[in-house]
Formats: sequence, structure tokens, C-alpha cells
Amino acid sequence: MPARQHVPRQPNARGKAQAAQPQPQPQPRFASAEDVSPARFASADDVSSARFASADDPGIMLDRQIGGLFEPIPPYPPQTEREAEFYSLGDGEMFLNVGPHHPATHGVLRLVLKLSGEQIVGVDPVLGYLHRGVEKICENSDYYHVIDQVDPLEYLSSLFQEWAAVLSFEKLMDVKVPRRAEYIRVLSGELLRVASHTLFMGFLALDLGGLTPILYGFIERDEIVEMLAALTGARMLFNYFRIGGVNGDLNHEFMSRLGDWMTRAGKQTEAQAGLLNENEIFVRRMRGVGVLDRATALRFGVTGGNLRASGVPFDLRRSHPYSVYPELDFNIPTRDEGDSLARYLIRVDEVRESIKIIDQCLHNMPDGPVMAPLPRLLRPRPGRAWGACEGPRGMLGVYAISDGSDQPFRFRIHDPSFLNLEVVPTLLPGNLLADTMAIVSSLDPVMGGIDK
Amino acid sequence: MRARIRAAFAKSFLGRFWGRRSLQERLALIFVPAAIVAAIVTVLIIVLAGPPFLDFLKANLPLVRFVVAATAIVLMTIPTAFVLIYLELKVIARMNLRVGPNRIGPWGIGMSLIHGFKVLSKEDFTPTGADITVFTLAPVVTYVASVMTLLVIPFAPGLIGQDLNIGLLYFFAMGGLTVLGLLMAGWSSFNKYSLLGGLRSAAQIVSYEIPLTLSVVGVILLAGTMSTNRIVLAQSGSFADWFVFKQPLAWLIFFIAATAEANRTPFDMTEADSEIVAGFATEYSGMRFGFFFFAEYVNVFIVSALATTLFFGGWTAPFRWPWSYNLNWFDPLSLGFLVWLAIVASVALFGTYFFAILARIFGGRAWGLWSSLGLGFVFMLVAVAGAVGLAAFIAFDWVQGLFWFMAKTYVFVVTFVWMRATLPRVRVDQLMGFAWKWLLPASLLNIFVTATAVVLLNR
Repeated sequence: MPARQHVPRQPNARGKAQAAQPQPQPQPRFASAEDVSPARFASADDVSSARFASADDPGIMLDRQIGGLFEPIPPYPPQTEREAEFYSLGDGEMFLNVGPHHPATHGVLRLVLKLSGEQIVGVDPVLGYLHRGVEKICENSDYYHVIDQVDPLEYLSSLFQEWAAVLSFEKLMDVKVPRRAEYIRVLSGELLRVASHTLFMGFLALDLGGLTPILYGFIERDEIVEMLAALTGARMLFNYFRIGGVNGDLNHEFMSRLGDWMTRAGKQTEAQAGLLNENEIFVRRMRGVGVLDRATALRFGVTGGNLRASGVPFDLRRSHPYSVYPELDFNIPTRDEGDSLARYLIRVDEVRESIKIIDQCLHNMPDGPVMAPLPRLLRPRPGRAWGACEGPRGMLGVYAISDGSDQPFRFRIHDPSFLNLEVVPTLLPGNLLADTMAIVSSLDPVMGGIDK
Repeated sequence: MRARIRAAFAKSFLGRFWGRRSLQERLALIFVPAAIVAAIVTVLIIVLAGPPFLDFLKANLPLVRFVVAATAIVLMTIPTAFVLIYLELKVIARMNLRVGPNRIGPWGIGMSLIHGFKVLSKEDFTPTGADITVFTLAPVVTYVASVMTLLVIPFAPGLIGQDLNIGLLYFFAMGGLTVLGLLMAGWSSFNKYSLLGGLRSAAQIVSYEIPLTLSVVGVILLAGTMSTNRIVLAQSGSFADWFVFKQPLAWLIFFIAATAEANRTPFDMTEADSEIVAGFATEYSGMRFGFFFFAEYVNVFIVSALATTLFFGGWTAPFRWPWSYNLNWFDPLSLGFLVWLAIVASVALFGTYFFAILARIFGGRAWGLWSSLGLGFVFMLVAVAGAVGLAAFIAFDWVQGLFWFMAKTYVFVVTFVWMRATLPRVRVDQLMGFAWKWLLPASLLNIFVTATAVVLLNR
């Protein structure tokens, strides 16, 4: 379609609309797929001399786009070779822009899929829609404030994010945490793990078209979250862990809610699993889809349930024990298949193990204080510390460097979702469009942590 | 120029008169004369054109019957879709351990009405770059095609749009047309999600139309006809005569293929919301989307109705109905106007008093005089409606037939809703593979076995 000349109508002095004189058009502009594709640019000179369609001349961009070209093309020449290769279409291929506002990409994940029919040829994940620069914010807050800054990252399991930060700071300051506080941390953490996993199961089913399990999951999660609200005062962003302990002892409401829940612990999860595990459609859509083999998983630094589903029994609670986990009796479920179904079943098993841990915590809960005596102003000696804990999605780590002031000099977060999501471009090609949802959802990403 | 004319008018007598009138007076001045003129014209039309028109109607009775039936069927889809939408919201909510709609009317029964108003009041949006003609026509094509299939559904003895002798053929031909609308929508929307949805629907219908049609061949062989009415008659008697017991495999194939045909979970590939946003309907809004929405629920009803007709005896009662009364002795015209007035007045008056007294006795002091009278009136209406319905059920064949037909159909409708709440969605390739590898051979096998049995047993 030839480019139609867009003529803006401007009011003249007498208030009547009158067609403005068309402006002479300068050199080529970028607005469309063909324009940006590298084939058009023989040398770097061409790229640099070309001009972009800009906001002060929107007519060009609109007209070109009407010619069948709403493509997810970045409005700049490709920056890297990989990008140039990806953004050039082969025969019978097309781009499909999935997200950031798509019903099945969790949060604001954007995947630019290159499709041939319904088969995926290539993927370009686009991240950063939720980026806030939390690490830099943390470097400008004192050690106490870091805890509530990192809370909203893993928003489905924020206690673990706090836990990682607190672990690294405690190493930095050489603090001994009271045993009761450690038990409370494990107890609340495992409760939150159950909540996170039931929600994962529900969202996975929702992405595959099952409407009901998500609501079962929310029932379970709501009970746990209400319980934790009684303990911490918040439903989602708890801000409960402190350097050297936790903020507040167990209280009556929490204990009564917990005791009530323990009589039917995991019942909703089992109901969910009953809806899904035996479901032929669900199993057929998950089995053998997105197989992540052991070597690839290790190469990409995948952790958590996704790694254990690939046959690597790596769980920080056992491999690099922290807190009171060495005293507790639980198994690390692993599976060898590495497909989406294995990643799902690992979560179901982990819920059962978590309930076992919660039970032991309740039976072994020691008496004593929940906070170590610490000064108001924390100024650790210069040094560096790495603290990591096993979150529901894998290894949540924090690397902090102290320069002797009351703020961390450097603060870096290792987010499991980010690394788990990195395998998506290797898992997706060759699968169908519908498998995108099964694979991405079974990796269980949380965009808050990924975009940081 | 215009301003000068306006100024001159304002100065004239008529202009000053008009300027002094209030809004209500102006409206009255416009509408009262208009109503008088309309009434006169109506009377003139009736007097002048009435007799020849009646003659024309008498001369073309089949045409009249067809027009009435078609109008009734088109109008019928609206309450049907409303009931189905409400049913889906409420039943799925219950299965999800939710409450569901509960704000509009008692138990939220006005919810789908409000949905309808919402859809009507929304912006009718056409995306830039869309093929406007095709984009506008697509919902109409889908809706009309699905409504037209209702023409051959026998709702009750005598209550059928048109008893075609190729009824089933017509049904599947029209049912296959719905995909045309979906394909048009997908193609014209200028959106890749829509395109994928449209193409998926085309592929899906092509695959599932074949086993669907072949599964019915067994029934046609048994009944010896393609007329839906005579297929129902072939199953009359008790529930043992239903074709589902003679054709269990065909029933299974039919049900699965019909689910795919109606684009319902687990085969709702065309609008798989977690994959391709809303499929063919992604770019639709307002009443155009409403047409798709209606067509989907009408399709569910139609598929259930066809399942009832072909395999579950249609409008026939599941057992021999023990009472057979008629109201032939009752001639309403012989009573006279005053007697009718007396009957209606006394029933209304004493019925209202009766229920009002009950409300006063059992409701305690909460019910004042007027509120208990109002409640009594409502109860009286319900009781009269129930009594009239019961009498009609006993006396008229078609009321009985309609009752059984609707009861059976809504069982299947609820089954479709139940499946939607329970099952995830299958993948596209699995869907196709299932149709071609399993359903098609099974339906062919079914035809072979049925044909052999018919030949052997009839000999």
C-alpha cells in the first residue's frame, strides 16, 4: 500500500479548518518492519544518516503502520547481531507480541514470539516494565530500611526476600539469632511457601484454561495470609524479619488460626491436585512439554523446583543449610523428567514437605527471646557477605558490601525468577503457541523480582 | 444567513409563542398532534388495506406460518441467551466456591439483563486498518446462521419452525455457516490474535463437522428419515426407546464433536483467553461483540436441543404419561364477559387476601398491612400462574412436550457449563489429532455396525 499523505488540519485565523500545506519530506524514516530490517542498511553510514519517525511528525508513523505493519519492532536500528537476526522475518513467519498486557503472562512479562503458523520459531523476552532500581534504593537506605524495600520484589513470598537480606546482614554484623526467632522464621516461611505453591498450581491451571483450581488456591492462600497478617500485621508485604530476629513473638490469634488450619492442612491443595493430576487433558498438555535437561538447567543457573524437576537435588535448605533446617526432618523431592508436568508435581510434593516442617516447628518451638540485642544504629565493620535462602522459586540471594557506614555500600539481589526465565528462549522454539503458557507458567516467574 | 432566518423567526408570533413554552409543553405540542395523526393514519390503513391484506394472508397461509415461526425463533434467542448467561455465571460460581452474581434482583437474576444493557451502551469500536464491511457483517453472519438452525428443532408436537424432510442436512449446513462469521471476524479485525482465532475456528470446524455429521447417520438409519420431527416420533414411548441406548457410541461422538462445534471448553480454541486473548472477538466491542456472545450461548442451546432431539426422545415424555385429559368441554367464549370479569376479580381479590392473611400470621409484625397485601398479590400471581401452567400441562400436548424438551435440553446445557468449570483446554494439535484419529474411525465403525444390524434385523 502506498504511503498516504497525512495532512493535519489546523485552525486558521477565522476559526475555520483549512488544510495545511504539505511539508517537503526529508530522508528515510523508521516506522515499519521493512524499514528497520537490516537488509535495508548496507553499511553503518546508512544507519547513522537515517532519521526516525518522531513525535513531532506523527503522521508518517501512523500512515506507515496502517499498511499492515503493527509489528513489535523497536523503533531503532537493531543494536546487536542477535537482535538483527531475530527481527528479520523468514518465509511465512510473523511476529506475535505477547504481553506486557496479556492475560497469561504473569505480570508484565513481554514475549515477542516469532511464529510460523502456530509454531514458535524464536522468542525475544522483553523485561524491565516494572523496574524500580530497588538495589540502588537499598544502597541509599540504612540496614533496617532495606528489609521493607526488598519486600515487594517477590510479592508472592516476600518473607523469603526479607530472609535473604537479613541473612546476609547478619553475616556482615556477626549476629547470633535466638533459636525461637529461627523457628518462627522457618514456620512463617514454610507457611508462605505453601501459599505460593497453591497459587502457582491455580495459575498454571488457569493458563491452561481450567477455571476452578485458582479459586481453590486462593482459599488456601487466604487462610495462610490472614494467619500471617495476625502475626505480622500485613497480608502481603510483611516487613516482619529483622536483623537478629523477628518483629514480634507468636500471638494468640496466629496460633489459633494456625491450629485450626493444621487440622485440614493442604486439603485445598489436595483438592486442586485431585482436579489436575488425574486430568487427562492437563497431563497431556504438560507431559513432555518444555523439557529442561539437567545440563541446560545447570548451565543457566536455574534453581528451585525447576532445577529439582530436572533431576538435580539442589536445595539450599539441605545443600547449604541455614537457620534450623538441619534439625528438621524433611525430604527434597526430585524428578528426572524435567518437563512441565515434573515442575508442577515437584511443587505439589513440596507443599506436603512444607506441612511436615510446619508440624515439626510447632512441636519443637523453643522458649526464649525473638530478637538479639542490637544497637539502634547498625554500623557493621567493612566487609562483604552473601546470604541466600531457598524461596519457593529457588535460591534467593543477597550480596552486600559494607564500607563501615550505616548503609550498605553495594547491595545486589540474586533473583531466582530471573534466571529461571532465561531458559524460556531455549525451551519455547519448536513448541506451539499454546505451550508458551504451559512452559512459562510452569517456570513460575514473578515479575516483581525479575524487573527489580 | 441561517442566523438571520433564526432571528426573524424569534421575532414572529410563532417564535414568541414557542419561546415562552416550557420543555414539557413543547414536548406535548410535538407529540400530541403526532399521536393524533398516527392514530388517524392507522385507522385509515386498517379500514382501507385491512380486508385485502387478510385475504392475502389467507391465500398464503404457509408463508404466514413461516414468518411467524421465524420471528418467534429470533425473539426466542434473546431470553434463551439471557438465561444461559445467568446460568453459566451462577453455576460456575457455585462450582468455584463463589457466590456469583447476587446484586441485580433476587439471586442476581437480572445480571444478564444488565450485561445486555452494558453491551448496548458501550462504544462500537472499529480498529484502524480493519476491513470495515466484513468486520461489521461478521457478527451478523454468525448470529443469523446459528439462529437459523433453530428452525428445524421440534420443541413440542406441532411447535416446529419448518418440518423439513431434510431437516438434519439443513441443520448441519446452517451450523457449518457459523464458522464463516468467525473466519470473517478473524480476518477483518487486523489483529494477529484475531487471525489466529479465526483460522483455528476454521480448522476446528472442518475437523469436527465430519464426525458430528457421521455420528448422526446411525440415528438416520434407525429412524429411516432425516426429518427431526419424525426422528422424535420414532423414539416415542418410554425412555427405553431413546436412541442413546441403541447408539451409545454415536452419542459419545456426537457430544464431543458438538462441544467442539459450539466452541465450548475443553475445545474453545477459537477464543482461548490465556493464549490468544479473545481470539476472533479480540477487537470487537459493544453490540457487535454482543452478537458473538449471544451466538455462542444460542449455539450451546441449539447443540443441547439437537442432542435431546436425536438421542433423548425430544419432546416425548420419558415414561407413558398416566393422565390424558383435554379441555374440549371448556368453551371460554360461552361464559360471557361479565362472568369472566367476576371470575378474574374474585380470584385476584380472594387470592390476595388469602396470601396476605398467611403473611400476617406467619410473617409476624414485620409485615404491615400494605406490605402483606403486596406480598399476597405477588403470591397470588405465582399461584395462578402455577395453576394455569399445571392445567395446561395436563390438558395440552404441546405444553407437556415443551416441558420435557426444555427439561432435557437444560440438563445438557448445565453439563456444558459443568465441563467449562472443570476441564482445562486441549491443545490445537491434540484437538485435530483426536478428531481425525479417533472420532472419525469410531463414527465410521458406528455406521458400519448400525447398517449391518439394520439390514440383518429387518430381513
